[in-house]
Formats: sequence, structure tokens, C-alpha cells
Amino acid sequence: MYIIVVGGGQVGYYLAKALMDEGHELLVLEKDAARTAFICNDLGSVCVRGDGCEMTTLAEAGAGRADMFIAVTGEDEDNLVSCQAAKHKFNVPRTVARINNPKNETIFKKMGIDVTISSTNIIMESIEEEMPTHPLTHLLDIQEQGLEIVEIKIPPHSPAIGKTVKELSLPAGNTLSLIIRSQQKPFVPDKDTILEAEDQIIAITTPESEEALGTTLRGS
Amino acid sequence: MEFHKILVPVTGSTADDEAIRLACRLTKKKNKGKIWVIYVVTVKRSLPLDAEIEPEVKKAEDVLNRISNVAENEDYEVETDLLQAREAGPTIVDEAVEREADLILMGVIYKRRFGQFSLGSVVPYVLQNSPCEVILYHQYTP
Repeated sequence: MYIIVVGGGQVGYYLAKALMDEGHELLVLEKDAARTAFICNDLGSVCVRGDGCEMTTLAEAGAGRADMFIAVTGEDEDNLVSCQAAKHKFNVPRTVARINNPKNETIFKKMGIDVTISSTNIIMESIEEEMPTHPLTHLLDIQEQGLEIVEIKIPPHSPAIGKTVKELSLPAGNTLSLIIRSQQKPFVPDKDTILEAEDQIIAITTPESEEALGTTLRGS
Repeated sequence: MEFHKILVPVTGSTADDEAIRLACRLTKKKNKGKIWVIYVVTVKRSLPLDAEIEPEVKKAEDVLNRISNVAENEDYEVETDLLQAREAGPTIVDEAVEREADLILMGVIYKRRFGQFSLGSVVPYVLQNSPCEVILYHQYTP
């Protein structure tokens, strides 16, 4: 697979190294001459000095035959423009962009970038998982459908304990998909499943109704 | 000065003929001295590495044939190789490492870039990274 990585900083450098170890054909585009020389010295002639936002640079880099395009510079604007050019001008099948400001995630998705990775969001998700006071843990956003998959732990004082799923007044469009109970195998709940304290529930919800779901399952 | 394994990268310049003659003179023929002549076709990143670039390959084959004839006239048989790579410098160095060459002999001609004498990018790379001795044969061009 031919992969172009825009940005030869710490992320780009280690990513390039890992992809090369997996046997992929790779090219790193880096603006800084000293950094380009460092990468070439360390990894061989896989780094070219150039601006990944420029069409001529991308054409010379062979974006037209690239299978994947990854933009991991420290600037969201550069990542967006280079991924857009790769996607719409060179028809690269898969574009991946690093997002530094999580607020930009929606814009990236609207612009047709296939995969966005926000380090801030990843760290936030880890914090949510580790903090027991946090009502919901976001596991995955399904942006096309406007849905999200969340994890909720039933606290000992929850009003949902002892109730069946059909007795809960779940917000419309919300589904409890999986229950993970201690010392049991995870199972898919049905309408007669009774909730217990410390149950971990994987649910499908919407951004608008996640608060209501949290209240139903955890109490106010 | 005598060497057992000499790598001679060629480009089709007029300096190549003299470079190969010099390589023949420097090789220990009786002790199974070996000369490899390589031509590196550089492939643009817009093409896959194994792309067939007909005119370049034809030119390379012509150059390698000519160099073989020059060596034969010196009563030597050389081994020729046509390589495709992204960059010539690292390829030459890699070949020297792989073949355990004890000398890289390159013919260079006088080039000017932006009004200044220039060795290009390949020669400095080889000088900097070569695993063995390097001799540059500079062709006098009046």
C-alpha cells in the first residue's frame, strides 16, 4: 500500500517508522529542511521537503496513486486543506486527519475527510472512563446517523435497579445494546431483563437525548 | 593502489568510459578482482517503483552495453546491472554495502548550477555515506 504522510513532526516520524515496519511504501512530506534531513538520515529517502497543501507537491509525491493519505501536522488548517486536495483532486480512497482543536471535527467530516483523530477527545474519553463520577463514557460517534455509542454504569442508588427494560422510560430512539455484569458473560438485554446495581450498559443514543438517558439509568 | 571489488555507477556521460578504464587498471585481475557497473534509473514518486519507463531503460541498456565494450577492449569482463530506484545516491551506497565493494569509482563532468560549479546531489551523498573508498574521475571538458 502506498501511503503519504503530511507532517514530519513527532507524530509523523513515528507513524512513518511504524508503517515502514509493516512493509508499506511510504512518503513523508515535511516543510522544514532540517527535519526532512533528519528523517532521511534515519529512515532512508522516504521524506521530501515540500508543502502538503500545494497541488504540485502532491502531484510530484504521487498522490494520484496513493492508497491512503494521512495529515498529521500541528495545524488543523493544513491537515484539512491537504486532505481535501488528496480526496477531491487526486481521488485518494482513504484520508485520515489529525485534529488538534476538537471543535473542528464537524468541519472535517463535512468536508469529506474519512477518518479524524482528535488527541484531545481520545484523552477526554480515557478520563471519562477513569472517573466514576462521570455519568457517560463516549465510546464511538456514528456521525452519518447522528448517533453515539455510550457506556453507563448503574450506581447503587439508581432508580433503575430492579426495573425491567420495558419499565424504564428511555428517551425515544435510545437502545440498550449490551449489559456487562460482573462474573457473567456480556449479554444483549431484552424487554424483560432486570437491571442490577453495577451493571455496565452499552447504549445507543443521540447527542440530544444522552442527558435524559443518563438520568433514567443513573438517577438525577 | 589495487582493489578487488569495484563498483562503477554510470550515467551515460563522457566520463564513464575513462572511469571504467581506470577501474580495469585498478582491479587485481589475477586475484579474481571484480567490477560491477550499475546504472540507476530514478523513478518519479508519481509512478510505482517497478514501472516500465521504456526510453530510460533503453538509454540505460545502451550505456551499459557501451561500457561493457570499453571493458572488453581492456580485456576485462564486467558485470552490469540496471536498477530502478527513487534516488541514485542511497542505491549506490546500498549496492556497495551489499556487494562488499572496496571501491566506488565514479566519473563526473564539470557542471554549473546557478553559475557555480556543482557536483549535484548524488556524488556528495556517496562521499558522505560510502562504506568504502571512493574515487572521482573528473573529466576535463574545455
